[in-house]
Amino acid sequence: MGVRCIELPGIGTKYELETEKGDRVAIIFMGSRKFQLYILEKGKAVPSAAELTAAEARRLGSLLSGAIIEAEKEAVEIAFSALSDLRIRVHTYSIRKNLAGKSIAELQVRTKTGATVVAVSRSGKNIINPLPSFTFQDGDIVVAIGDTDQLEEFERQILGN
Amino acid sequence: MEEIALALFVCLVVAVIARRYSLPSIPFYILTGIAIGKSGLNLVPADAYSQYLSYLGLIFLLFYVGLEIRPKSLRERGRSLLVSGIIDLNVNLLVGFAAALLLGFGLLSSFIVGSAFYVSSSAMAIASLVENRRLIYPEAETIVWLMVFEDVLLILLISLFSIQGENPVGFILLTAAVLAAMVLLVRALDRPIRSLLARTDDLPTLFTFTAVISSTYLAKLLKIPDSLVAIILGSSLAPVAGPALDRLSQPFREVFLVLFFVFFGITIDFSGGFSIVAASVLCLLALLSKMASGILVGRVLYGSVPSGIEIGANTLARGEFSIALVAIFGSAAISATVAILVVVTSLIGAFTARYSDVLKEWTDRMWQGPGRAAEARPG
Repeated sequence: MGVRCIELPGIGTKYELETEKGDRVAIIFMGSRKFQLYILEKGKAVPSAAELTAAEARRLGSLLSGAIIEAEKEAVEIAFSALSDLRIRVHTYSIRKNLAGKSIAELQVRTKTGATVVAVSRSGKNIINPLPSFTFQDGDIVVAIGDTDQLEEFERQILGN
Repeated sequence: MEEIALALFVCLVVAVIARRYSLPSIPFYILTGIAIGKSGLNLVPADAYSQYLSYLGLIFLLFYVGLEIRPKSLRERGRSLLVSGIIDLNVNLLVGFAAALLLGFGLLSSFIVGSAFYVSSSAMAIASLVENRRLIYPEAETIVWLMVFEDVLLILLISLFSIQGENPVGFILLTAAVLAAMVLLVRALDRPIRSLLARTDDLPTLFTFTAVISSTYLAKLLKIPDSLVAIILGSSLAPVAGPALDRLSQPFREVFLVLFFVFFGITIDFSGGFSIVAASVLCLLALLSKMASGILVGRVLYGSVPSGIEIGANTLARGEFSIALVAIFGSAAISATVAILVVVTSLIGAFTARYSDVLKEWTDRMWQGPGRAAEARPG
């Protein structure tokens, strides 16, 4: 799956890839922050093409590179393919009565589970990076970050699910 | 002075309309010039101001040619570029030269006409490849690099024509000395130039304009052609700040070149030895010979006639360089003839480039017969 790179003076740079199934894909980076994306299906003579702005190209790139692998209702997983496939999961949980009045320090969230509470949404207001002394209330929505195992521990030990 | 405003305004309107139909604007600027100038309504006479402004267009165009010359990447392309370049040069320069000679132009004039006949429009070829979404084809690479090859040849041709009436040895030595001095100067000033161009204020633009204008003064001082000095300046600055200077000089190029084209049209005089028959024959041959050289390149590089059609169809248009050549070296009759050549080939070229797929399919059928064409098509 080699990518061929050709300079096109006056236009930009062309990257070309032939897929396993024999389709050809080419991307042309044009100097003025424009991109052209070509797909030539195997056996067809005429390609399809799309012209993308820089923002659209980034969007498409992150879709293809799998930056957002899973966008469930409550969780997002971010994968950095360049960092030996580092995956970070961000999950939202709602706080129930059993945790009301307890602080993050008291619950020993990080020590027990490895996950970190990075934000809390309380009656329409957001608190980013709450202090260890932060005390939960019934109905808070918390955002926790960690890997899959850490978040599972968080659900089991802290939330008591 | 108000004539310049009028000419520019008409050009703007015409360009908007041309863009609307994805047509190249250069032929329309020339036609506009012809319509409002000497040979038409005679609304806009050329004066010293307009002459200077359109002269700047020419100088900025040549500066850009120099800027885009990259000997290293040229060498990397190797044999395939050389083969396509030489086929393109030989077929078209020879046909153009011989045709001009037979049509009654003098020896030198025929060589100038042949050169204008040979050089395709890089601007139009590139614009049509991008606009018609042809960049995935390997032929597009061949076309783009062929344009770079032609640029190099353009420089050689300009040098050759400039030698006319000079002592060749002295001329070559002086030009080589200027080139060497310029390269050394730029190398010595590498760091200051880089930091100047990296600024975010108005100085990079001012530097670009000043450098280009100064090159014309330097040319006058040293008594060598300003066209060559502009190219030399561009090529010696290219390794230090090619992309930045390309971006910075773009607005100047865009505005002054429009003036260059429209005033080229305005000064066209059809009464001085221009023959409509000769011009028509040249136009027809220009279309046929570019297509023929394209097909030849396609057969040699890709073993395929349709590949050649793609190459030919996208390079039919002659444009900025043909005009530049005759604006510098041509007589009134040559200028008028080449103006027609550019208008006709660029308009027809726009359509052949857009419908090259249809052309390819059509020739495919002709070449192989209906039965085999159907077989060759997959699915």
